[in-house]
Amino acid sequence: MKSYKLLKQTSLFFTYVALILFSLMIALPVLWTLRTSFVNEVDAYAMPPRLFPSFTFDNYRELFGNDGFGEFLINSLIISLASTAMAVPIASLGGYAFARYKAGGNILRFTVLATQMLPGVVLILPLFIVMSRLHLSDTYLGMTIAYLAFNLPFLIWIMTGFFASIPKDLDDAAAMDGLTPVQSFFRIILPIALPGIMATAVLSFIFSWNEFLFAIVLSGRNTMPIPVRLAAMKTRQGIQIAKLSAGTIIAIMPMVFISGFVKRYLISGLSLGAIKS
Amino acid sequence: MKRMSFQARYRMIGYQFLIPTFLVLLLVVAMPLLFSLVLSMFRYTFLSPRLNEFVGFSNYASVVHDQYFWNSVKVTFLFVLMVVPLEFFIGYGIALMLSRPEIRFKSIFYFILTIPMVMSPVAVGLIWRMLLHPELGVVNYLLGKLGFGYVNWFGDERLALFTVTLVDVWQQVSFMVLLLLSGITSLPKEPFESATIDGANWLQTLLFVKTPLLMPIITVALLQRVITSFKTYDLVYILTSGGPGVSTDLISYNIYRTTFMGLDLSVASAVSYMLLIVILAITVVIFRSTMKGNE
Repeated sequence: MKSYKLLKQTSLFFTYVALILFSLMIALPVLWTLRTSFVNEVDAYAMPPRLFPSFTFDNYRELFGNDGFGEFLINSLIISLASTAMAVPIASLGGYAFARYKAGGNILRFTVLATQMLPGVVLILPLFIVMSRLHLSDTYLGMTIAYLAFNLPFLIWIMTGFFASIPKDLDDAAAMDGLTPVQSFFRIILPIALPGIMATAVLSFIFSWNEFLFAIVLSGRNTMPIPVRLAAMKTRQGIQIAKLSAGTIIAIMPMVFISGFVKRYLISGLSLGAIKS
Repeated sequence: MKRMSFQARYRMIGYQFLIPTFLVLLLVVAMPLLFSLVLSMFRYTFLSPRLNEFVGFSNYASVVHDQYFWNSVKVTFLFVLMVVPLEFFIGYGIALMLSRPEIRFKSIFYFILTIPMVMSPVAVGLIWRMLLHPELGVVNYLLGKLGFGYVNWFGDERLALFTVTLVDVWQQVSFMVLLLLSGITSLPKEPFESATIDGANWLQTLLFVKTPLLMPIITVALLQRVITSFKTYDLVYILTSGGPGVSTDLISYNIYRTTFMGLDLSVASAVSYMLLIVILAITVVIFRSTMKGNE
């Protein structure tokens, strides 16, 4: 049995080595970007690179100062919040209809899933034309509505799963007590589903925050969100690595932070509810 | 209306809840799709945005005869065929390791894994553009130290698509790991116990017990990734803009290019519809498998 134990320990050791190497591969690029965001521009592309040749907040200061990054952050925040706030209530009702009443049967459910699978480029061209005609391009309203096109189907799909996992007896009991279906939804079902709904709302916020295609086509000077601004920095400013790093860090840190609250739902959400959380 | 059956009334209630969803999807999905179907049959450009020249399927015909379209199809399939298996094998391997009960500090590993998943592809692309910069990037510097020669990650036509693939794997492999991991941890214990009693070794258990049991989740994971990688657009926009030449001109990027740089909206709509049919076919498969999983 001693050799078995040794074998087991060796395999455990190599498992750790592999896992640590893998984690480093994932973490190091982000950490290096974080480091670069705190060095000055000359050191940022000095070769050979040194770990911490200088330490400065100048990149961030400049971004928020001259470059007006605060404004892009606020744009991102407004659009993502507004789109989430619009999508979540609608999706809750829709998900409930699918889960409890089997409304529309499989065909309608399939349509929702197919919508979720639609490549954005297919939708963005007609949306762009319509939005321009309605003078809604480069407005918060226009972007918020357009973002529903990808937010809503994915939210409905996940929420259908949530509502399906709530026992039907609760509705029946509510009906027995004389509640109408609408009352029973708002008073009984919604409070139970609320934690899940909040978590999906966070996911929807993250998706909206990271969205690029809709953003680059529909936004303009007044509404430009962070990703579009970052993409523009790439071409406009050549190799301002330090500043670009700082911008990237600003874009990802809020998401890393809030994703901590929805850990449990993250994978369920991203797999469209194929895995129960 | 007063003689409606209980079931019909029940269904009516369901449809009431569905009204907002229906209206919004009509507005932001169905109508745009219909509009672009119409566009694809007319001659409609940014310069003359009018629907007065009906051309039937000739836009589709010109797509079929466009060598750039076929190039994009080829590049997209290559990309999907590299990205999905790579992610699956790496992801499955890591998930298996992480599922070992002896492993400690799991929450740290999970935390690191979720970082790329919540990053915008734009941020991912920018980070890797900096790291893989041929002269100023850290990667080439480190490779040089290890004795490897200079690698022109994005400039070499034969390498660029592979580089984009690697970056995509970096971002998406976590999804695979976490999805498969949650599948593994929810597996029943009994089949493994009996496999051990029957004297199955580690590899046999993996191949003949664990993997078959995980098949529903593996299917969902693979299909999900096939669909999303078909749609990949932002990464190429940031990393290569489809180049060098057209070596990384993925289909979604191709459509974007024809729309907003080529200015030919009709042809772009036609390409969109052809992509749509492919995605729809895959969706049917994914729908069937998730339905099975949910029932």
